[in-house]
Amino acid sequence: MRAVVKNGIGIFTPQGFLDGNNGGIFLSLEDIQATAKLNVDMILVSLKKVVFFNRNGLDVFVKMFIKVREEKSITVGFCDYDLKKYNAIKNFYKNDISFSLFASQDIAELFASSFKNKNKNVLLYNEDKSQRSAMAIELHDGGHNPIIAQTEDEFKTKINTLNTYDVIIENTYLGQMGQNIAARVTGNAIIYTVSSFLDADIGNTFNIAYHNNSLNVGFRLFIFDAYKVVSMNVHALNFFSRLSSSAAEYNATICFVGMTFDKIPEAFKENMEDSGIMFFEQMDDILGDKELLAELGASSAAVIKNKRVINKTIVSELPKFIDATVSTIEMMTNSTAIKESAEIQAIKVQDHTDKIASSIGFYGDMDGIIMLIFPKDIAKKACQLLIGEETDDLELILDTLGELVNIVGGKMKTLLADQKININITLPRTYPDIDSLLEISQDRKGVQVDLAFDNDKFLFFLTR
Amino acid sequence: MITNEQITDFIQKIPPAPKTLQVTISLLNNGELTKAAQIAQTDLALKSYLKSIVNKPIYGFKNEVSDISQIFGILGVSSSQQTVYNYMMTLLSPKKWKLFKLKESTFNELQAKLSRRWKQILVHLDIDDAEIESAITLLPASIIVSEALFNHKKADVDILRSVNNLDLNTILSRLCDLDLFDICEKISKKWEMPPKIAQIVQASSGFKPSDDEEINRLGKWMHLLLFYELSQPMFIEAELNDFIEFQIDYVNDIYDDFATLMEIS
Repeated sequence: MRAVVKNGIGIFTPQGFLDGNNGGIFLSLEDIQATAKLNVDMILVSLKKVVFFNRNGLDVFVKMFIKVREEKSITVGFCDYDLKKYNAIKNFYKNDISFSLFASQDIAELFASSFKNKNKNVLLYNEDKSQRSAMAIELHDGGHNPIIAQTEDEFKTKINTLNTYDVIIENTYLGQMGQNIAARVTGNAIIYTVSSFLDADIGNTFNIAYHNNSLNVGFRLFIFDAYKVVSMNVHALNFFSRLSSSAAEYNATICFVGMTFDKIPEAFKENMEDSGIMFFEQMDDILGDKELLAELGASSAAVIKNKRVINKTIVSELPKFIDATVSTIEMMTNSTAIKESAEIQAIKVQDHTDKIASSIGFYGDMDGIIMLIFPKDIAKKACQLLIGEETDDLELILDTLGELVNIVGGKMKTLLADQKININITLPRTYPDIDSLLEISQDRKGVQVDLAFDNDKFLFFLTR
Repeated sequence: MITNEQITDFIQKIPPAPKTLQVTISLLNNGELTKAAQIAQTDLALKSYLKSIVNKPIYGFKNEVSDISQIFGILGVSSSQQTVYNYMMTLLSPKKWKLFKLKESTFNELQAKLSRRWKQILVHLDIDDAEIESAITLLPASIIVSEALFNHKKADVDILRSVNNLDLNTILSRLCDLDLFDICEKISKKWEMPPKIAQIVQASSGFKPSDDEEINRLGKWMHLLLFYELSQPMFIEAELNDFIEFQIDYVNDIYDDFATLMEIS
């Protein structure tokens, strides 16, 4: 079974009846491990479409959860259940629940590091006081405003206060939470979460290839969410100093938020500042200040010092990149594409109106960036299959466009793997207008292919 | 990915029901079991299918049954008709399955299981109606249609489903404004099956409840029965479990009754 991965959560959705005979067939350890490799914060099994389950059925999943959590520190558990199912699970496992339970996917997202919608007013209740506190701490660390109901009566009273809370949490249980250095994208800044004691191990747990390719794709602001950092040693200091120096080549900025220096030598801070790292007390000090955000490069691309050129290797695989893109858009729009022209040049867009764009980077045996420029109407049509209805909500369209470009990336990866060329893909980035894309592409040369889908013009650009 | 033209082409290519089957069903309709058996005997493929189905463990016969008139005699009019319709459906199934990890024998097993359990449900609901009993035979056509339309698009479907939990029925209806069950209905019309059969199967999709209370009730039982069977290990392995979306709320009010009947605990 495949998981659907969204907002850093991989969710498996079995349907029907679940028992000891079919649990291992619905979901295998390999399925879970493959999902864990996608750098997710959580792996959950949704019980929304399960009409019957017993302890034996759940046990099959729980054993696999524990194994995967031992290998990779991520949150595992179940979601999407009603009170009856929640009580059944609690009854099966009594005081031995080693996994998490989230009443819905929306609630799970609040606890995932990758979730980008912060600052939610969250009312929560759990009969277990330590659970209430654990949830409140996690939510607060995640940038939300938790309001704890101390009793069930208080909870029932508060629930009835209309429009006060964005999310209400009940029938939820936090097992062991993940401790990964997860990356999430907020606007055009990438936020990494680090915690506890930082030492030489940071070099192993931090995905440097992902970071470098995010720089290459055009991300310029990297924020380390360090609220939960207790202390660090000289190895970690050196790591961050090196990271900052390499970011400077791209004119990118590295910031630390929420770091306290009670147990860290003050000299470390000075060293880090000397290498260009900035410190802020609150996340909102950066994200809430649009001028500062612009200054730090979150919304604009600065001059890239080591501009690279498109090479023969990448051009020789051009048909595969185009195939992956065209077949995806054709699949999503149920229309046929016609290739109109292909030129090696800096990106040229004749008409900027009513166009949106997306880019995705790839790295590995070869590296580069693909930029796609869509007329809004094609983007809307392409996204309709995923959304299920027509929409004019630009934020929703851009979000869905990101998913679509992810599909393109997935196809590229498969097509190139057939040639024994292994690549990884970055997170997609979307642009509400062409000007913001051009800031990133600047005057880089690449291959521009103009395509027409049912007479609508669509632009593909491949560069490095 | 899939166009209305492809669907039209698929339906056009479905041959009319063979004459032997039409006559057999017609004779069964009139209760003429012996004459029906004589006609059925002449179609060797039908004869072989009937023997293989009826001798499956789910039918519970201790000794092998091989004579067609004996088979029709044991099954009775309604179940004989149901089995002949099941055979008709197999005429549509591909020689080699690509989208689903199915074999001919696994598909026949699903037909047999659905048919026997459906009979059990109808007895429980105190319904004795040949058309209603035969309705279950059209349900697996939705699997055949999925295979026919999506088998060259497996990679696309897999990638699409990795970013959004879409079932094949939803993908098809969003692309073509026509779903698997609409296509099943078109097949049933082409094969001149009684209209009630398509009505029940449409309701069993789980998202198109019928205004007719009786049809709707049967649709709920059929929808739940389908997912009961698709939760069996052999059908999960065949990747059938999520080809359509299980509408859990639709079957909520009959679940306890179903669980008791199927002895689920």
